[in-house]
Amino acid sequence: MLEVQNLVFAYPGQETPWNFQFSAEPGHCIAIHGASGSGKSTLMNLLAGFLEPQSGDILWQGKSLRHAAPWQRPMTSVFQEHNLFEHLSVTANIGLGIHPGLKLAPEDTQAIERGLDSVGLSGFGQRLPSDLSGGQRQRVALLRAILRKQPLMLLDEPLTGLDREARDLLRQLLLQQKAQGALIVLASHDEEDRRILADSVCTL
Amino acid sequence: MSPVIQHQRRSLPAYPAPLSHSRWKLWPGLTIAAALIVLSLAGLGALVWEAELPGLSEFWSNRYLRTVVTFTIWQAFLSVVLSLLVAFPVARILARQPAFPGRAFLLRLMELSLVLPSIVLVSGIISVYGRQGWFTGLANEWLGTSWNLYGINGIVLAHVFFNAPLAARILLQAIESAPASQRRVAAQLGLGRWWYWRAVEWPAVKPVLPGLAALVFTLCFTSFAIVMTLGGGPAATTIEVAIYQSLRFEFDAGQAALLAMVQLVICGFFWWLAARHGLTASLLPDRRVASHRSKAGSSIWARLGDGTALAVFVLFLVTPLMAILLRGLPGMGSAFFPDGTFSVNPALLDATLRSLGIAIPAGLMSVIAALLILASGTSQSRPTITRLSDVAAYLPLMVPPLVLGTGLFLLFRPSLGNSSEGLALVTLINAMMALPFVLQMLRGPMGSLDSASRMQADQLGVLGWYRWRWLHWPRMRRPLALAMAYGTGLSLGDFGVIALFGSPGQPTLPVLLYQQLGSYRIDAAAATGLWLVLLLLMLFSLFNRLGSPLFNSGLAPKSSRTVPEPEHA
Repeated sequence: MLEVQNLVFAYPGQETPWNFQFSAEPGHCIAIHGASGSGKSTLMNLLAGFLEPQSGDILWQGKSLRHAAPWQRPMTSVFQEHNLFEHLSVTANIGLGIHPGLKLAPEDTQAIERGLDSVGLSGFGQRLPSDLSGGQRQRVALLRAILRKQPLMLLDEPLTGLDREARDLLRQLLLQQKAQGALIVLASHDEEDRRILADSVCTL
Repeated sequence: MSPVIQHQRRSLPAYPAPLSHSRWKLWPGLTIAAALIVLSLAGLGALVWEAELPGLSEFWSNRYLRTVVTFTIWQAFLSVVLSLLVAFPVARILARQPAFPGRAFLLRLMELSLVLPSIVLVSGIISVYGRQGWFTGLANEWLGTSWNLYGINGIVLAHVFFNAPLAARILLQAIESAPASQRRVAAQLGLGRWWYWRAVEWPAVKPVLPGLAALVFTLCFTSFAIVMTLGGGPAATTIEVAIYQSLRFEFDAGQAALLAMVQLVICGFFWWLAARHGLTASLLPDRRVASHRSKAGSSIWARLGDGTALAVFVLFLVTPLMAILLRGLPGMGSAFFPDGTFSVNPALLDATLRSLGIAIPAGLMSVIAALLILASGTSQSRPTITRLSDVAAYLPLMVPPLVLGTGLFLLFRPSLGNSSEGLALVTLINAMMALPFVLQMLRGPMGSLDSASRMQADQLGVLGWYRWRWLHWPRMRRPLALAMAYGTGLSLGDFGVIALFGSPGQPTLPVLLYQQLGSYRIDAAAATGLWLVLLLLMLFSLFNRLGSPLFNSGLAPKSSRTVPEPEHA
């Protein structure tokens, strides 16, 4: 279970600090909803460990993550953009999610190939991210997040700006992940995304 | 619907990266920085300890020393002013004429000034501006002047040759970094050259100026080979040369130590002043210069004017190089084909091997030290300590290498038994001298990983060795090869420490050249100079090849496009 307990954070010069508090079970999707500047991305960065809160705690299965480094937290982030390393191939980008030194076993490589096939990117493994469309890039980012096999997925506007076909495919993938026990924290402006994916909505 | 991708979830990342602990990032660089500080202080301290240091009042009452200090400041000041006066228009023209034929060649030519050995250039300058030089003949005949190269004229001329291209590259880079939106607005408003300068170029150039002026001042202030060869007696001697003379001929370590401290204080003051006014990181030119069209240079008259100005600048740069080539070629024949068959002159071969034996390890040491210092600088945990390591890397710009070398020689004297150990000391000091330049070249590429990539890498656990291998190395490969080439090239052309410690019987190429010039073997000297330049070109070409992608692990893209080079350098 993910418990966010009185997580307080303010940027320098910010008069009123944010105070986040919610909890969610594995296999659920909690949507974070709010206007621009309401703190959605800040919350995502706090959960991922990219920002340090002034007070409060984040518990996962009862254990505190407050002082854990980003790589020690059981989660994977997918942002609206800039998810891929531009100089590495699609396969390498996904492979880094499986092994951070790209030491991939044959079954890992097969898993990547199967994954690419399942998201409609068969044969794209050796391409550079700059050769892909926005929707294709997001599919690669999401595939990496899935193959990384972490129990928590932090998705910050992952479907914004994509065409209908790409959105449908990614939604389907996310629903499958949820069904397999992943806890998804989804920051999204889009009401349809929230309606299809979310089990509960947290408004900031 | 059946799940597309099924798997068991992991709890925590299972593959810790080698060398990922923060201490691996922080401590090697800090150790190098501490070693630099200790070596500099020990070198200076040993000299002061051995010497009877004259008092300050005695120093001021010594007319020779006063003259040396005053002349050093004066020539450096003049060199800075003239270099910038040449560099400003050249940079502006290059910025507003992004597409003329030969622009890339000119930019490469301007890079040469960083590594061209000063002793070689001096031979070219003498051929053009010396008593029998092409320029002197024309000037005396047409203008009726009595131009004399030796003295402040030659020193400042050579300094401008070296520093104007360097300054122009840095200024061009600054101008090109002006926001595109500002340039667009200026173009829409149809601003003329003056207002374009005021609105777009000056704001971009202003932050770079203090650091640039400090860099050029320090390079001219500590200049050695140029003053040794073109200086004219006590009236045209700089502190660095006076230190050499004190140590080599007068055996007066006290005077050398005092002069070294004066140099340290003056150069340190200028760097402090530059730092107070916002010393920017980008003090060495980027190899990639973006091109932007500006309306200010589009009329036929503007292009004609710009072309003429650039032609004069190219002529200024090319003539000494042409002289080196033309004078060196006949001598090269006798150096490599003495009897019509190929056999290398043994003296030239020995000097070449000795030079490479010093320069390659020195280049390698400077690159490794720079990488470790930069890595420690990216550690966020102790900002004050990491800033200190940065400052330590610039110490070699202020502490005269001769003083450092002599001090360390005195310190290690009991164990410095043979000439090879002396050469090891020369290698160490050459590496230290190259460090500030190499550091500047690698600073930008090392910091070019954007924040989104850093966040991704942090979360994926791409840390330590893995981060270096997969994220830094592809970006750093070319800059590293270039930095290695510059580090080695600077050491290859060194005529400072080696002049003091090198044995006359075992010369390096610059020492051999100096010996040949001193014994009026002009053809042989020209050949050695040309050979040194060719060696540098081969070295750059070799490292350029080494910097290109060497292997494809199967995970790297098959696309023929290369990895984009980082924006800064």
